[in-house]
Amino acid sequence: MSAEQPTLATLGGSPSSTSKLDRRGASPEGVPLLEVQDLHVRFHREGGQVLAVNGLSYRISAGTTLAIIGESGSGKTVSARAVMGLLPETATVAGSIRFEGQELVGLPEEELRRRRGSDVAMIFQDPSRSLNPTMRVGVQVAEAIRAHLPLGRREARERAIELLRMVRLPSPERRYLQYPHQLSGGMRQRVMIAIALACYPKLLIADEPTTALDVTTQAQIMELLLELQGQLAMGLILISHDLGLAASYADEVIVMYAGQVVERAPTRELFAHVRMPYTRALLDAVPRLERPAHSLLPIVEGQPPDLSRLPIGCPFAPRCPRADDACRQAPPLEEHEPGHWWACWHPHRDDGGER
Amino acid sequence: MAAPLREILVPSVAEGGAIEGVGIGWARRLSLDIVIPAAVLILIAGGCFLGPLILPIPKPVGGNILSANLPPFSPGHILGTNPVGNDILSQILYGGRVSFEVGIGTNLIGLVVGGLLGTVAAYRGGVMDAIIMRILDVLIAFPSLVLALAIAEGLGPGELNVIWALSFFTVPAFARIARAATLRLREQTFMLAAQLAGTRSWRMLFRHIAPNILPQLVTFGLLGVGVAIILEGALSFLGLGVRPPNPSWGNMIALGQQTLTAQPQLVLIPSIFVFVTVLALNLLGDALRIRWAVS
Amino acid sequence: MSTPTLAVGRPEAVPSRWRSLATAFMSSPSLQMVGRRLLVAIPVLFGVTLLTFVVMNLLPGDAAQELLGANATPQQVHELEIKLHLDQPPWVRYAEWLRGVVTGNLGTSLASKQEVTTVLGQRLPVTFELVLYGLLISVVFAVPLAVLTAWRPGGIFDRLCTVLSVAGLSVAPYVLALVLIYVFAVKLGVLPAIGYVSPTESIVGNIRSLTLPAVALGLPLLCFYMRLLRADLLEQMQSEDYVVTARAKGLPPWRVLVGHALRNSLFGFLTVVGLNLGTLIGATVLVEQIFSLPGMGQELLEAIDNRDIPVIEGTVLVFALIVVLVNLLTDLLYAVLDPRIRYGRSAA
Repeated sequence: MSAEQPTLATLGGSPSSTSKLDRRGASPEGVPLLEVQDLHVRFHREGGQVLAVNGLSYRISAGTTLAIIGESGSGKTVSARAVMGLLPETATVAGSIRFEGQELVGLPEEELRRRRGSDVAMIFQDPSRSLNPTMRVGVQVAEAIRAHLPLGRREARERAIELLRMVRLPSPERRYLQYPHQLSGGMRQRVMIAIALACYPKLLIADEPTTALDVTTQAQIMELLLELQGQLAMGLILISHDLGLAASYADEVIVMYAGQVVERAPTRELFAHVRMPYTRALLDAVPRLERPAHSLLPIVEGQPPDLSRLPIGCPFAPRCPRADDACRQAPPLEEHEPGHWWACWHPHRDDGGER
Repeated sequence: MAAPLREILVPSVAEGGAIEGVGIGWARRLSLDIVIPAAVLILIAGGCFLGPLILPIPKPVGGNILSANLPPFSPGHILGTNPVGNDILSQILYGGRVSFEVGIGTNLIGLVVGGLLGTVAAYRGGVMDAIIMRILDVLIAFPSLVLALAIAEGLGPGELNVIWALSFFTVPAFARIARAATLRLREQTFMLAAQLAGTRSWRMLFRHIAPNILPQLVTFGLLGVGVAIILEGALSFLGLGVRPPNPSWGNMIALGQQTLTAQPQLVLIPSIFVFVTVLALNLLGDALRIRWAVS
Repeated sequence: MSTPTLAVGRPEAVPSRWRSLATAFMSSPSLQMVGRRLLVAIPVLFGVTLLTFVVMNLLPGDAAQELLGANATPQQVHELEIKLHLDQPPWVRYAEWLRGVVTGNLGTSLASKQEVTTVLGQRLPVTFELVLYGLLISVVFAVPLAVLTAWRPGGIFDRLCTVLSVAGLSVAPYVLALVLIYVFAVKLGVLPAIGYVSPTESIVGNIRSLTLPAVALGLPLLCFYMRLLRADLLEQMQSEDYVVTARAKGLPPWRVLVGHALRNSLFGFLTVVGLNLGTLIGATVLVEQIFSLPGMGQELLEAIDNRDIPVIEGTVLVFALIVVLVNLLTDLLYAVLDPRIRYGRSAA
């Protein structure tokens, strides 16, 4: 079947797209695709500020996958939007976001817009709401193409159909003319992916791409994403609350809580040696078949903190079973082991014992 | 079970955003865009209802033909007199009474009767809902002025009849809004929670529904008072409703029409009053709507 | 595996738009919705006739007596009553009248002795043209103004428009009409104050004679529509997910506003315009009176003056029927245009 699937080699396109591929091969060594340093994002509301992202740093190279894991409110989505420049006017961004060495923070909107969709693309959680319900699906893809590439209407349509074929949408010519509500959830998400990949971006941010889908479709979409990532040599940032997703598909994992990074490591290392109590709790909360039936799920008590009123010290301390007085002082994020960073006074140790 | 229920119901207030405005928060939330129109309205209404009692103003009717057509700022007649000799300021104030009475009257009827109808229709659903909605559709189908004319004609002149006639629109309009709001409320989980907790009679559910839809109805009502004032003016203008010599802002404008070029103030003065009153109502209604918006 | 074809033996790269439209429409819930709407409209129409009849005939007042005046003898009153069928019980009179309505016979004018349908036939085109003109003014300007103000919310243009539109909303149509007359006809002398010029005489004259009335009619609605559309546009731009997607594609902001937000807003807007058509049509009564236009509204007022009951009944009925029909048309239009309704769920 692979002969049927259009690959990069068989896909036609304007000269500008092929030159992009050439550029990709010749990307300068040592310059990471995206480098985020000490990112802070504040929202200004009536009666105060909300610190949504509180010192986030990471870097990602082409062809690799980074997973950012956290609960709702942990700042993962906000940080992604900051990279895209899609934050509302009430937000202020501090820190550095460098894409291929170019600083994005403070860049005028017009410059950001040129990069959106063509260099960096994003797909969102709920495809039923993220697609315009009154516009044909294919036209929405073609629109993404024509936003950055000088193609005529017919050429854009043909390329859109090829993109739909690339994301494995059955009968793409027919689907081109359909409206979002005529497609299933999985198909809509494929359309979203087609839209995101329309201009062969170098970096793709997937914000909870499978949360709104059923389990079988989830796997299909993730496989599709991974395959396309390989073909296009893209960097992929996976945002999710699902550690399992990270385990299966990511090269490196960042765990966020209350706007901060609490643990960071290559995937294998992280799951082999979980250090942060929060990460441990997330893992433990996943229902497993080995557990006896009707056993209580070890959920984490309490609620994530109010981001407009952050407590002093470790933000997870109020809910942490291992917390003590030392935790009143915020533990710094440090590379305690090679490649493995965490911010905790009482991390889990390899002996497996508590404390 | 009262305590857990409160846990669930309190978010409903926050969701509805309704009651948050009432109570202690209110004083803090008074701002210019509410205070100014409200003050203007109070000034005008106060002037209309209290003015003739307090100030030495001549009667609106029975004027002396000898002092007809006096220009504004004449002695004893600060706004002048009309062709029959009646003092214009007095006519404005008494006419204003009519406007406010009609405006508030029709909208009160609309709010109570229409609100009830709409809420019951939405809450009961089914056949009752369908029947009520069809009846309301029929009423709404009539172009407002036409129906008002027909009814006013049938009932005869007079302020009270105008109120009845105009109520034919306010009731279906309020009913529609109440129904839509109630339907939206039903979707929310706190309603289900209340039902599950055994909240029995629908009387008690009115304690949940009413506080949440009331703000919407009230802001709609404020805008509706403006509409009613204009409609009353239209009826009087056309010769129905309040007939001369009893003053109404509408029939003053109609009378003044004949001498539009010679004495524009006869049209201008009541027009300005209508405009300012309706404007204040619109501004106040808008400001409150934003303040009490259900997010 | 070849690409699936729609027509046997003729592989098309992309099927034609029309074909897909037709197939979708035939099998669609759209037809069902149309059918449903029509069905619902029937009892409403019935109700309209009933209400008209009730209002005109069952309200207090002795029609015959009033018609003849205080000097009539009881004998004359009685004769007139029989002639007008006023001695029959109400439901008989309603049935008779309804029969007349359905067959197109609305009775005879008491004042002019003409057939009511003839009279209305003469008057309807004038009112129709006026309503159309007013509608055009209110809608055609509202859309671009709304887009422009939603472009930079809070900016100077936006604030200016907001102030003006709230003012425009608050003006009574009859006041506006008089002001317009005073400014444009009396002071500037640019447009005629009263009188109607039929299109058969002069098209330019026709448009000129209807311009001030149409503005008086359409301006308050224009302000209302502009604010409504603006509010909806802003809400779409701020809280809808597909707007975020559109921005993420790298589309320029005006394209997001017009190509996406406006597109969706127009549907709701259409519904509101339809709903308010009743108000617009009703306001023609006033406007026709002030500008002396020989339309249905003026006819209604004259009939009221003359207590010409058949004419009043007929006019009110026709007004109401028009509104019901227009609302029905709006619904249908909506059903056809909104793709969510036009194409139901098709197999995944």
